[in-house]
Formats: sequence, structure tokens, C-alpha cells
Amino acid sequence: MLDDSKIEATGLSPVEPGYRHVLRVRALVFWLPLLIAASVADLVLLLATPFYGLPSIVVAFLSATAIFVVPSRRYQRLGYALHPTLLQVVRGWLFHADTIVPLVRVQHIDVTRGPLDKMFGTANLVVHTAGTHNSIVVLPGLAPDRASEIRDEIRRHIRSDFE
Amino acid sequence: MNEAAATLGPPERLHPIALLSSLAASARGMWGLFAAGGYFAIQGHWFLLLVTFGVYTVASLGSALIRWLKFSFRVGQREVRIDSGLFSRTHRSLPFDRIQDVTIEQNPLWRVLGLARVRFETGSSAGAGEDDGALAAITLQRAGEIRDLVRASRGLAPAATAAEAEAEEVAVFAMDLRRVLLAGVFNFSLAVLGALVGFTQTIGGPLGFDPFDMDFWAGLVAPGTPIGDFVMNNRATLYSAGAFVLLMVGLATGLLRTLLRDYGFRLDRTAIGLRRRRGLFTVTDVVLPGRRTQAAVIASGPVRSHYGWSELKLQSLAKEDGGKGAHVVAPLADDAEIAGVLGAISWQPPAAPQWQRVSLAYVWALAIGLSPLLLIIAGQALLFWYAAALLPNPVSGEIDGRFNTMVIVSGLILFALLATIALRWLAWRRYAYAFDGERLLVRSGWWQRRLKILPMRNIQSVDYLQSFIDRWFGTANLAFGVAGGGLTGHGIRALPSETARQVREQLLSRFR
Repeated sequence: MLDDSKIEATGLSPVEPGYRHVLRVRALVFWLPLLIAASVADLVLLLATPFYGLPSIVVAFLSATAIFVVPSRRYQRLGYALHPTLLQVVRGWLFHADTIVPLVRVQHIDVTRGPLDKMFGTANLVVHTAGTHNSIVVLPGLAPDRASEIRDEIRRHIRSDFE
Repeated sequence: MNEAAATLGPPERLHPIALLSSLAASARGMWGLFAAGGYFAIQGHWFLLLVTFGVYTVASLGSALIRWLKFSFRVGQREVRIDSGLFSRTHRSLPFDRIQDVTIEQNPLWRVLGLARVRFETGSSAGAGEDDGALAAITLQRAGEIRDLVRASRGLAPAATAAEAEAEEVAVFAMDLRRVLLAGVFNFSLAVLGALVGFTQTIGGPLGFDPFDMDFWAGLVAPGTPIGDFVMNNRATLYSAGAFVLLMVGLATGLLRTLLRDYGFRLDRTAIGLRRRRGLFTVTDVVLPGRRTQAAVIASGPVRSHYGWSELKLQSLAKEDGGKGAHVVAPLADDAEIAGVLGAISWQPPAAPQWQRVSLAYVWALAIGLSPLLLIIAGQALLFWYAAALLPNPVSGEIDGRFNTMVIVSGLILFALLATIALRWLAWRRYAYAFDGERLLVRSGWWQRRLKILPMRNIQSVDYLQSFIDRWFGTANLAFGVAGGGLTGHGIRALPSETARQVREQLLSRFR
């Protein structure tokens, strides 16, 4: 396993450690019903066949990976940097994406918090640009104060562009 | 409020003929009434029938009349105000600054009467595809005046009279009938077959007629029947006749569609941008502000490009009706004409750029992505072939035919997948990018050839994307956010990751 400083080595700031739990609970909410469904299917449909137990084992393996391995990997690879004129958001483990938005190109900004975010003390910064591809850039897992701080910083740029 | 009212002109009404179009709209909702009428007629309640139709006619006439009476618009120096509605009044204000596009449309009746439908498009309509404001029927002259006002307020052209505005238009590109028909040939399409399938699925069933059902043909051409014997004896002729019919259907579809859409195509340069008029029955007249153009695409295909033809589309902040977004400003033009159109919005045609090729991972990534499917299909074909061979003889005679069909179908799918990969390789040989001054050029595709011209200042965001497959090859994809709809997928694929980072730096340097 890699340690948390992986993202810092690339000159980016990590997000709140609490975000790992957000990811984990989200994975749990997604995979638990599937796991139950697979077990039920096993008992009801496959009892007398040689495939008995196969769906449960496969889904259990997948959900264990999704709940215990994937969140920390994704967390370690999530980082951002607020350059003087650019916002950089780096994320993704299997599908790595490194997005740069020039601050003068930002149309408007939201700070959103879902129930899970409130539980673990995180917030999402949502940046809208005029582009059709990638017109919404989300930076999740920020501390709420930090999110507002970045928002105010970006807003200054939007204003200065209008003047 | 008073101040604002003072700068607005007097309220104007739509031409009374607009009543007709709103009546036509309510007639479309009359099917329930017809059903009820039919029921009354059968039951012999003639009086009820008369009352129903009478009430409905009066009600729809009345509501159309009230709608017409309560609809008015006022044109000011800086905005158009549209007031409508009886109980829930709507006062819509369309500031000229926010109007991106003024479209003047004429259907055949409108043309006879010298009327036009005027639509104002503002940026906010981009997603919904709804008109922000439309004037259903006003005189063509008034429509032209309003458009000139909107244009003039842009600050580019002084408030020119309609005559002057006409005079300063310069013809940029036009297509004669021959060119339109030629474009139709290149728009070869078998879409009508798809429509036919859908039609017989819904209508053909009750009629007992479904040409896309095997049994329909099996019964018709069964050995022993006259048609069956004829088919067996003239197989080769019939196959070629079928292919010929398909060819003709495809050609006719393409010709008809293109003729309807592009008849009388002409493009003029005006003070504000490009003005496009086209259409056989429904003539559309669109002005594309030059400043709002975000990117350009020169599209072609192997055959078209062999004869030196291509199509020019512009991606603009102003959206095309129908939500397709990209505005076709030259459906079929040679290089010189395309250069002329680009020149008309002060864009240079690409000079002699230094093309940079991309990694062969462009092909491999697709092949790897398709490989699970390839394996499954190949395995399936083998399995059926093997199973057919294993079966004991008496049974196999019966089932063999079906197994053979499965093997053939699997083989065809396999061939299609391999052809996709082969096409991707051909596309890779053409795929390249280049910096052309302040612009990025990306050339792609073999069958669908595209040359995208993207001024760097129009880039809204840059994504550096790398999936685990790309990582094996050490490549990455760049994707750019560009405003305005229509041309998706701005980006460069399969760059070596180091190059990708350098290109990104170069694109973003203007923002540093």
C-alpha cells in the first residue's frame, strides 16, 4: 500500500482524510444490495446446479475490493492545486484524469454538501465552464472552509475578467 | 419602468394569419373529439354530435382569437418585449445584447403572403432546445428591420437601413442545383430501410404483411410454388437486382433529403457575420455572428476527398435549430471555396502545418478494448461448429442448418469487429495534430475525415486522461472543453504522456 503522501510528492494538495470514508460508505450503499441479491439468486435459482455459490463468491470478492481497496487508492490519487490563474484537479486510479481549468474561464461555482459529506466533514467544489465537454468540474472531499476559500478566490477572478 | 417604456416602440400585433397556425395546432389535439363524434354518429345522437363540434369550434376559435389579441410585442432600441397570455400574463424581455441569433423562417404559405416567422435565440436556450421568443407571423419587411436593429446594437455596424444592409452583403458561397444534387449523391443513406422496419413492426402486423419476417418469405418462395421455382432458377440475377434496388433507394434518399434542405444554398458575408439561406419548401435564413464562432471542422470522406470535395461546419455559441449545434456553412465545396468562407469570418485556412503523428496505441487500445468481445464471439463460433460435428448423425441433419446459421452469424460479427480495427489502423495513419500559430489543428479519421481547427483562446478547460490501458503504452489523451454545441470530442488521442504534458502546457501558456 502507498502512503498518503503520494499525491503530495507531485506538488498537489491532498483532500480531507474523511473523504475516504465518504467513498467507502458510498461503495457500501452500492454493493450491499447487489450482494444480497446475489445470495438470494444463489439460494432460489441455482441451488441444484453446479453453479451454486458462484454469484455470491464473485460479488463478495468484487464488493470487498470496492469497499476495502478502492476507496483508499482513489483517495491517494485525488489532489488539487490552486495555481495563481489555474485550478488543477487530479483524480482517478484505473482511469486517471488530470483537469486544468483557467480561472478566467469559470462561469459560476457551487459548493455542495450531501448527507455523507456532512457526516464526515467534507464538501464538494463544483466549477462550471462554458465548455460542452467537461463543463462541470467537481473537486470532492474538501474541508468546507477550504471549499469556500477557493470559491472566493475563483470568484475574484471572474469579477476581474468582467472589469 | 416608465423610462424603459419610453424607449420601447408602440405595441405591435402579429399578422391575423397567425390565427391559422394556432388553429392548426388545436386541430392536432382534436382526435379525441373525432372519436367521440364517431361514437355519437354510430349511436344516432346527431344533435349531440352537432353540439360537440359547435362548442369545440367556438371554443378553439375563441381561444385562438383571445391569444392573438393578448399577444403583442414592442421593439425598443435595446430590447424586444413580448407580452402574452390572458390570465397568466408573461412579459418577456429579450435584451439585444443577449440575442445570439435571429432566425427568419418562411413556410410556403408565408412566402406567398410575404410573411415570416422570427425566432430569437439567446444563450439560455442552449440546453432546452426551446425558443426563447418567437414571433409567429409578421411581415417580411418588419422581420428584416428587427433583425437589422439587433445587428446594429452589436456595435459593429451603425444602424443601417435595410437597403444598405442588403448592399453591404457580399456573396461568399452558393450552390447551384448541380452541386446540390452532387451533394445528395454523397449523402447516400439507407436510413429509410430502418424506418420501413419500424413501420412494418407497428402497421404491418395487423395487415398480415411483414417483409422483415423470415416466415413471410419462406412461405412465398417455398420450393414447388411458382415464385419459389423462379427464385431458385434465377438466384444470381435476383441477388444483383436486390443490391441494385438497395443502391437506388439509398441514392434517392440522399438526393431527396439534400434537395429539401440545401436547395438554393447561399452564404453571404454581412457586417456581423455569415448569413445563410437554404431550403426548398421551408426556407431558413440564419445569421451566424462571426465572433461567436468557436471552432471549425472540415469534413470529408475517402470518395469525396478523392474528387476534392469537403464540407465546412462551424461550432458557434448560437445554436442551430434542432439542437444539432454545428452550423453547416458549406455542404460541398472545394478547397478554394472553403478558404473563401473561412476568410469571410477572418479565419485563415490552414497553411502548411507541421503534422505530428500519434502513438500506435491509438489502434492497440481499441483492439484491447474489443478483445473480450472478439474472444467471446470466436469462442461461440468454435463451440457451435464443434457441437454440430459431435452430434449423432440423424439428429444433426435436423439441427445442422440452425448451427450453420449461428456459425455464419458469428463469423460475420467477427469480420465486422476485425474490420473496425482495420479501419482504426487506417485512421491512425491519418491521425495527426499541429500548431498553426494561435490555433490547434487535429486531423482524424479515414472513412469520416475531419480536420478540426480550434483557436487556443477558445479552450475552456483541458483534461489529461489516462486509463490503465493507456498506462501500459505510456500514452495519454487530451480532451478540451469548448463552448457551443455540435462538434463533440475536441482533443488529441494517444499522445506519449510526456508529449501530452508539453502540449497541455503550450495550450495553457496564455492563461499563466
